Amino acid sequence: MRIDKHLDVINACRFCFMCRHLDPVANVTFREADTPRGRALIADRIRMDRTELQNPDFVETFYRSALSAANRFHCVSHYDETGLALAARRDIAEAGFAPERVKALAKALEKATFAVKGRGKQLYFGNHPELYPGSAVITGGDPGKALEVLGFAAASKKVLARFKKAVAATKCKTLIVAEPSSYDFLRDQLTGIEVIHGSEFLLASPVKAGRSRKAVYLESDFLKNYDGNPAAPRELLKKAGYTLMPFGTNDEESYAVGEGAVVYDALNPELCKKLCERVCSLADGAGKVLFVTASQTVKDALTKYNPLFDVVTLEEAVAAILS
Amino acid sequence: MTPKNYLYEMIRSELTWAVGDEHVQTNEADKLGHSIDYYWVPECWHDRGKKPTPPDFVVHPANAQEVAEVLKIANTHNIPVIPWGGGSGSQGGALPIYGGIVLDMKRMNKVLEIDPVSMTVTVEVGINTQHLEWQVEKAGYSTMHLPASIACATLGGFIAHRGTGVLSTKYGKIEDMIMSLEVVTPTGEIINTLPVPRHASGPALTELYLGSEGTLGVVTKATMKIHPIPESRKFHAFLFKTMHDAMTAGSKIMTSRLRPCVIRLYDETETAKLVKRVLGIDRKGAYLVFGFDGPEKIVDLELEEACKICRQQDHEDLGTEAGQTWWDHRYKFFYPPFMFHLPQAFGTLDTVATFSNIEKVYWAMKNVVEKNFPEATFIGHFSHWYDWGCMLYARFIIDEPPKDANEAVALYNRIWDMAIRAAIKEGGVINEHHGVGLKLGRIMRDLYGPAFKVLEAVKKTLDPNNIMNPGKMGFPGKGV
Repeated sequence: MRIDKHLDVINACRFCFMCRHLDPVANVTFREADTPRGRALIADRIRMDRTELQNPDFVETFYRSALSAANRFHCVSHYDETGLALAARRDIAEAGFAPERVKALAKALEKATFAVKGRGKQLYFGNHPELYPGSAVITGGDPGKALEVLGFAAASKKVLARFKKAVAATKCKTLIVAEPSSYDFLRDQLTGIEVIHGSEFLLASPVKAGRSRKAVYLESDFLKNYDGNPAAPRELLKKAGYTLMPFGTNDEESYAVGEGAVVYDALNPELCKKLCERVCSLADGAGKVLFVTASQTVKDALTKYNPLFDVVTLEEAVAAILS
Repeated sequence: MTPKNYLYEMIRSELTWAVGDEHVQTNEADKLGHSIDYYWVPECWHDRGKKPTPPDFVVHPANAQEVAEVLKIANTHNIPVIPWGGGSGSQGGALPIYGGIVLDMKRMNKVLEIDPVSMTVTVEVGINTQHLEWQVEKAGYSTMHLPASIACATLGGFIAHRGTGVLSTKYGKIEDMIMSLEVVTPTGEIINTLPVPRHASGPALTELYLGSEGTLGVVTKATMKIHPIPESRKFHAFLFKTMHDAMTAGSKIMTSRLRPCVIRLYDETETAKLVKRVLGIDRKGAYLVFGFDGPEKIVDLELEEACKICRQQDHEDLGTEAGQTWWDHRYKFFYPPFMFHLPQAFGTLDTVATFSNIEKVYWAMKNVVEKNFPEATFIGHFSHWYDWGCMLYARFIIDEPPKDANEAVALYNRIWDMAIRAAIKEGGVINEHHGVGLKLGRIMRDLYGPAFKVLEAVKKTLDPNNIMNPGKMGFPGKGV
């Protein structure tokens, strides 16, 4: 099983409580099983007794995780508990024990196709091509990250192959990706093409500062906790005239409402709602300040469950200045 | 009790009526998480492929009224109730050793009021203490309760076992920080202790619940002191040739009535092993670090006075940087892989004694461990200092304990039995801030002597059906 390759994580996390305060799901469910320790204990039990892989309570626990990686970021040794959870999901899915709703979601994601429009020096993958003049645009669904995160690696590879084929046809040397989950995935998976995040490209572009406006930038799980915490999103917002305000009580917690799990709202709407409510409870006043997120899925969730919130994506925040 | 038993369903129905269906968990994932805390014995049990006893129900109450309802249900059916905070206690105090209801308090996590005039915060005690500290800091203050387990534990957990933080020398242990409590008694009445801790209106009821480990009721709310963020906090470190020299310096700092916020002294073995590994300070001797906080002028003055005391001993001055390094990495000791971990056997022989006795306690425990258990390594540091003495955080580590779980636990218990009794003989009290729990319950009669009957009488009176955390703190169990 793939969890066996994470024995160091199991041994490190199964009796360790040091990052429990940062698990976004445990902070709304209050359940021990939803902490990194809880999941490592379950993985250890499965490791000792393989029949436990089909224990529905254990299976559900792994699919409840928001995979924020805030815990891994916090850990002084950066033990990859997120990697363990992903390995467990893959073991579960490949053994056919994934819950029916997960299987149905995977089946829908497998159908993703991709199309390219226009020509350009670089290729853009996102919802705001007007910000990237002179770029070809690739559109379509998730390029395989969501399937990978759900544990369906083979299906993920098939979708990725379709994405790669579409990209290859453009002969572009640079791919600009807006959604952090796709950026995280494609920078690992694509070769022969430079993959950059939209904020990097826009930061290097002639964006002029607009009227000063206060905003809270909700850090992205992927950009912050998975991809080395690049400064570009924050720098871009400052360049565009936004004054960034602190949010919550600390800079360690994830407020990305399940972004790390890519399709969290589709998978666990009741938990996603709770994560959004927690973010709302930490805001001093919904509607008073603009919230900016790098992720469309985070924006969608926050606006769905907190309709009073004024939330825009990073690209929308920049587009508002340019317009 | 199993789900096949219809009584199980009857009780589950009552619990869900009291707190809501969503807040009563009976699934195996949650039960597994609550069957193991930070006590080495259940960890070992799990590590060796055995299954520690799980609770029958995990209940998350929202308020004191719901706690009261749960306790009334438990009394009706005479089933155990085990309060659970963060589950990070090292003494097995939160383990559901007879099954029953684990009362997970983490849902009760609201900061209710910060009073900037009296400098207090009133809070539900299920709050994670790091979350509490962050909220208090946002308001411009600090609880000054900064233990290594700050991110692991709840305020209720610290109250339950008289926990402490790294700044205890100046700001006190949790019992010094708490002003008053709201408690649900074992029979389901909600009471409040007097609002201030200094009075002459009879015995201190608040104190009764501090350290009671969920055996006398469930603490649901607390008012505790908060403090201004100090203008300055500075550290200094010294290396002494022997632990005795370092202890002499440390005790003189305290008895001269300087007010450090922290002193920590590592014996030669721990300096060579852990201080080197975690802090990268590679020296032979006993490492002593201390710090002061407050207005910078006063901090500088006190720091210099403390340094003068240290320079009277055979010392190497490591300077402020080596002190600051310790502060910056003070929690790192407790993260994997720096913390001891299974399959190692390890235990913290936490003891407190007067300055007259503390070194005797140290040597008594060290000698008994090293003489009788040559496979064990004994290390120690002195981490909470008072006007009259300090706390010894001694530890034993066995790299390769027996593979058989029962044999390993038997060996583990033998070490505890011998080391603790050696400490008590030299005037040591077991213990200073980890609590009693399951681990040390058998020692309570020896420790208290005839006075334990008073505690037993209190327990019997308050909890006539013995539903509250049975089998802990030396109180009766429920039968196996």
